[in-house]
Amino acid sequence: MNEIIAIAGSTWKNVLRLKVVYFLVFCVWVLIASALNYDILSLGLHKELLLDASLFLNTIAGVLVIISLTFEIPKELKEGVASAMLSKPLGRTNYLVGKMVGYIVVGFVVCSLVAIGSFLIFNISFSEPIGIAMLQNHIMIILSLIPMAAIAVLFSIALPEIIAPIVTVLVIWFAHSTGILSSIPVIYGGIIPDLDLFNFKSEAVYNNAVTWKYVILVALWGISYAIFASSLASLLFSRKDIK
Amino acid sequence: MESEAVIITEGLSKVYKRLFKPSVKALDTLSISVPKGSVFGFLGPNGAGKTTTIKILMDLIKASSGTAAVLGKPSYDVEVKGMIGFLPDSPAFSPQLTAYEFLNICGKLLKIPSERRSARIENVLDAVKMSPHARDKIGSFSRGMLQRIGVAQAILNEPKLLILDEPLLGLDPYGRQEFKQIILGEQAKGTSVFFSSHILSDVEEICDHIAILNKGKMLCCGKIDDLLAASGSKAVVAPNNDDLLKELVTSAVTTSKRDDGSWILTFENSSEIKAMLTKAVEKFPQSIKISASHEKLEDFFFRIIKGDGKTE
Repeated sequence: MNEIIAIAGSTWKNVLRLKVVYFLVFCVWVLIASALNYDILSLGLHKELLLDASLFLNTIAGVLVIISLTFEIPKELKEGVASAMLSKPLGRTNYLVGKMVGYIVVGFVVCSLVAIGSFLIFNISFSEPIGIAMLQNHIMIILSLIPMAAIAVLFSIALPEIIAPIVTVLVIWFAHSTGILSSIPVIYGGIIPDLDLFNFKSEAVYNNAVTWKYVILVALWGISYAIFASSLASLLFSRKDIK
Repeated sequence: MESEAVIITEGLSKVYKRLFKPSVKALDTLSISVPKGSVFGFLGPNGAGKTTTIKILMDLIKASSGTAAVLGKPSYDVEVKGMIGFLPDSPAFSPQLTAYEFLNICGKLLKIPSERRSARIENVLDAVKMSPHARDKIGSFSRGMLQRIGVAQAILNEPKLLILDEPLLGLDPYGRQEFKQIILGEQAKGTSVFFSSHILSDVEEICDHIAILNKGKMLCCGKIDDLLAASGSKAVVAPNNDDLLKELVTSAVTTSKRDDGSWILTFENSSEIKAMLTKAVEKFPQSIKISASHEKLEDFFFRIIKGDGKTE
């Protein structure tokens, strides 16, 4: 466990010191605030538009963090950073889990900053507090980082470094899609995670909250899926030559 | 010798399979034994299989066949890595971390207790002359500084075995000298050192054992003194023996004066020279010592590689 925390710690320290992370958060805040300009175009629904934009853009910010993981692992393997770490009594599975946890923490920080910023923008603009459903949905976005990070780790090990980010984006895109794939349960909710479980944006905008039990169950599903995907990644990584 | 060996490989082979291209045999039935307490130089031209061997020993790549044991355990044993210090050929570390933070993470992975960790990190930073840069980000370091940090993380756990892949590459002459001192210092503490290098003069200076590899096959392995053939005679002339020196110097191939005022002269292998030296010893028994002079490692290396008929 200490090894995983050590790798995760080095990962989030390394990423959270990059200025681009805070530039991304700032850009998302600006885009969320820009929804206020659409009061006429949205026929006075700019409040709902702002809430919807905050949820959508927070999801995008989270996905961008997770996608960067598919660049990070092949880069570390190629440049020798991973060799230096794996020459210690660490174990390959612990290395992968550490990287995954590190990026989940980075995603948590980024998505929390976006959520806090969006709450402040909403509060200042409309002088009313944010609804519980919005809070729940931002929490769900953060929780969705867990299966997404596992997917990113799996593809960054299983696929060549140029293809891995593209395939990860595609899979996350389809995983967020609604019922189109639900008739094929082996793929949807099986191989591809059912990220639609984390999505109730349209209800949250109108402050229709879900039960906390649902949030917990979805979180447990996300963790279970992450264990499945990272075990598969670990199995592949244990056979991989590190050049 | 076998029981005293820190590294034993038997029939180690590695074949890289490539899509739509012929397979490459990087290592061909390599069997070596590295004695405990030795400084073992692992030599060979580019593509000889040195890095492949080292990576198999560190379980970074998997052997196609054969076995490798390190410190008496299989090379895939995770816990044995706690007793090894490893420096990869082009060390790269997380660029946003400071040198201290990086070594602290290495210390955690090596399970060095937190109460001892800080002192140990300061010691190794001092040993590699990086203390003034402890709080600087690794991303701002030059190649030589990265190499120093690489050595610092390799000796952090006071290892029983150091495995170094081209440790002297990219260092200036001062850096190389310091590193050789570090390696010899580690050997003095009882650490065995196994390292690959292209810099033959450095290998000759610090190694007591060598192995030469070419195209994945081992060409020779053993004690450096046994391998380098006697190529002539060496005379050490005590200080203030100018008459004797004048007699010998005209026949000498090389001459060099040592700090204590004595001279070292080397001679070719011929009966006339041997007769002259015998006469000199009879005449000045207290002032001259004769021994066999050995072939230079560089000459030996090229002779062995050319003999293999595979020089590129």
